[in-house]
Amino acid sequence: MSRFFRWQGLAIFVAIIALIASFIYLFADSLVKSGIEKSGEWYLGAEVNVEDVDITYSPLTLNISGFQATDPEKPTHNLVSFSQASVGINIWQYFFGKIYINELNIDELQLEQQRKSAGEVYILVDEQSSKDQGLSDDSVFPKLDISLPKVDDLLNDSDLLTVKHGQALELSYQEEKRKLQGIQKKLPTKASLEQYKKQIAALSNTKIKSLADIEKLNQQFKALKKQFKADKAIVDEAKEQVVSSKRLLAKQTLDLKNSPSADWKNIESKYQLDKLDGADFAHMLFGEKAREYYGYADNVYQKIAPLVNSSQADKKSAADKAQMAKSKGRFIHFTEQAPLPDVLIEKANFSLILDQGEFAISGKELTHQHWVRGKKSTVRVDSSNVQGSGELGLSLDFELDQKNVLQSKGEWHLTDVALKDALLQQSSAITLQLDSGLLSGNGTFSLLDEQIVSGNDFMISQATFSGTGDSNLSELLINTVRSLKKLGLKVSAEGKLTDPNFAISSPLDKQLKKSMMKQASKKLTDFKADVKDGLNTKLATALGVANKEGESILDVEGLINDTDNALDEFINSDIIKAKKKEFEDKQKKKLEDKLKKKLGELFG
Amino acid sequence: MFTLLAKLLSALNSESSTRQISLAIALGFIVGLSPVFTLHNILFLFVVLFLRVNIASFILAWGFFKGLSYLLSSLIVSVGESLLTAEPLLALFDMLYQFSVFKIAQLHHTYTLGALVLGCVLAIPVYFISNYLVEKYRLHVMAFFEKFRIVKALKASKFYRVYCQVSGQGEMS
Repeated sequence: MSRFFRWQGLAIFVAIIALIASFIYLFADSLVKSGIEKSGEWYLGAEVNVEDVDITYSPLTLNISGFQATDPEKPTHNLVSFSQASVGINIWQYFFGKIYINELNIDELQLEQQRKSAGEVYILVDEQSSKDQGLSDDSVFPKLDISLPKVDDLLNDSDLLTVKHGQALELSYQEEKRKLQGIQKKLPTKASLEQYKKQIAALSNTKIKSLADIEKLNQQFKALKKQFKADKAIVDEAKEQVVSSKRLLAKQTLDLKNSPSADWKNIESKYQLDKLDGADFAHMLFGEKAREYYGYADNVYQKIAPLVNSSQADKKSAADKAQMAKSKGRFIHFTEQAPLPDVLIEKANFSLILDQGEFAISGKELTHQHWVRGKKSTVRVDSSNVQGSGELGLSLDFELDQKNVLQSKGEWHLTDVALKDALLQQSSAITLQLDSGLLSGNGTFSLLDEQIVSGNDFMISQATFSGTGDSNLSELLINTVRSLKKLGLKVSAEGKLTDPNFAISSPLDKQLKKSMMKQASKKLTDFKADVKDGLNTKLATALGVANKEGESILDVEGLINDTDNALDEFINSDIIKAKKKEFEDKQKKKLEDKLKKKLGELFG
Repeated sequence: MFTLLAKLLSALNSESSTRQISLAIALGFIVGLSPVFTLHNILFLFVVLFLRVNIASFILAWGFFKGLSYLLSSLIVSVGESLLTAEPLLALFDMLYQFSVFKIAQLHHTYTLGALVLGCVLAIPVYFISNYLVEKYRLHVMAFFEKFRIVKALKASKFYRVYCQVSGQGEMS
């Protein structure tokens, strides 16, 4: 047998295994410490420090002390740090290729805490995006200004429609008058008409002795009629021009009459006098703050999303995963009686310390494969010292389906959170700050495949405000807000998770509008009256000119009509008929006389 | 490293059985293809130590084939992938998956299973090829190389001194 077996090999085997086990036992702490640091640095792209790692083996628990992960965008601060964490790992499941953490406890979790020395950064950071977040948006709050312009300056503005339309109407009158005068020159003069009359009279007085005389008269009258028709055509053309001129001038006169009201609308809009009616004050004042707070939540979500394999992150990394599976392989899991997800944290407890207070966060069934066990992940956040003595309660659940669609819903409430020196507005028009107040509220939210629907009610009580404005209106706004002791707000967010549409409403809107309108109304009423008077004067002047010019057009129209009537009379005169009748009567009479004479001689 | 190479040459030139060297190379091939810390590697280590195979040859073959495994990783993964996802084998793997030892051995990982299966299957030709090459070496190559001046020069080197020391101690057992 010894020809084939090496019995001392058994001893060597046992010695090697013992050596490996001792090595693991002795150096496991350092290996895990180094593993956490290296993998953390690889993931974040910045220095990660772990003070100490201690492993206990029954049950297997990792105790991590003094964890600090540098913020790659701000190396003087930690992105996240904690003083102590214990991770209870199911070692068998680890060997089976799964990460199953029975219990995860993290104490004194802190965000954005300053480091003793700046951490190293291994990746390039997009500075622009971080700068953009800090930019204040001046345009969110419109520059409300009630420093009204001088009425005279306003009325001398050549852009006023009343002035423009007045000038246009005057020009049109001149133009149309010129056209009509041109036609008037072509019209038959009074002398011509008199001449025509004489010619007609001469024809009427012509002695008719024979049918040849009638024919001659007819020829002469036809020649005259031809002349009348030529003149008539000129008159018709003149009449058409009159109609077209009157239509144009009527339209322009109507435009002119409507100009003062259009001008007032423009003035209202230009000097934002209409803003008082439609101003969404609550949105203007609190929208920025709501977006800022939502931005914090969105930041947290964006950091967590890749860890829970959100649909977007997963789609992005699907190609990488496929590539990795191709070169390094993958675990393929088969049906089990009690299946487990690839990663599962059964129970997690964090104590999070922020400037705003201490928060106890607990989670259950945290995984990215909820369909495996058919259970949702639940998270609860509680605090009794938000900003001093405020209370917060938040509970949510979430689950991912096999298509990686994230579904979540939750609710929250907040009680008596002290607010201090919260800057609500800082723009060139207005600076408004909530000096102190107590915030309470509650709300719900639901998320389905990156689409959020959230409704929230807030109540700020015992509020004191301060601020400065560069105009009467903004000062008016500040004074009105300062007079408020209680303020209710409804904030809703709907749409894409990364860029939802906010709707903020409040009884403040009505209150502010009423108050501001009351204070501003006298000044506005006077201003409005002055401007309208000025505009009406301009209108009257423009219309006066128009009336004068209109009279001259009417004169031309009268002349044209008279000429037209005279020509019609000439054209329709029946000289030939009359002369024919006269001749026939004469001939009849002659025949009668002849007949009587013959009969007298016969019976005589 | 010198010592290991010297031991390999010593084994090749010594009276060690050709089969002992070839088996060591074949086992080194299986272990080399697989990830280091796997249950079956511990088993193969036990076999290497318990059976009278040439350990130096095993260690060198392991190192050599470990390097080769990086080039073969896609092939190894695709073998594992096609086995673990093959419809006719699903029932078998389903059954094996119920045993903890199967999961601890990580044979449900495409790389591990692929490396083990590929290693075991190719170990047979590797054994026979090694056997053939060692025999040929002993018969022809050794004598052939002895004639060269460079070999004579090498014999004067530090490497040869190590070799002689190792040879003087005979085969490691």
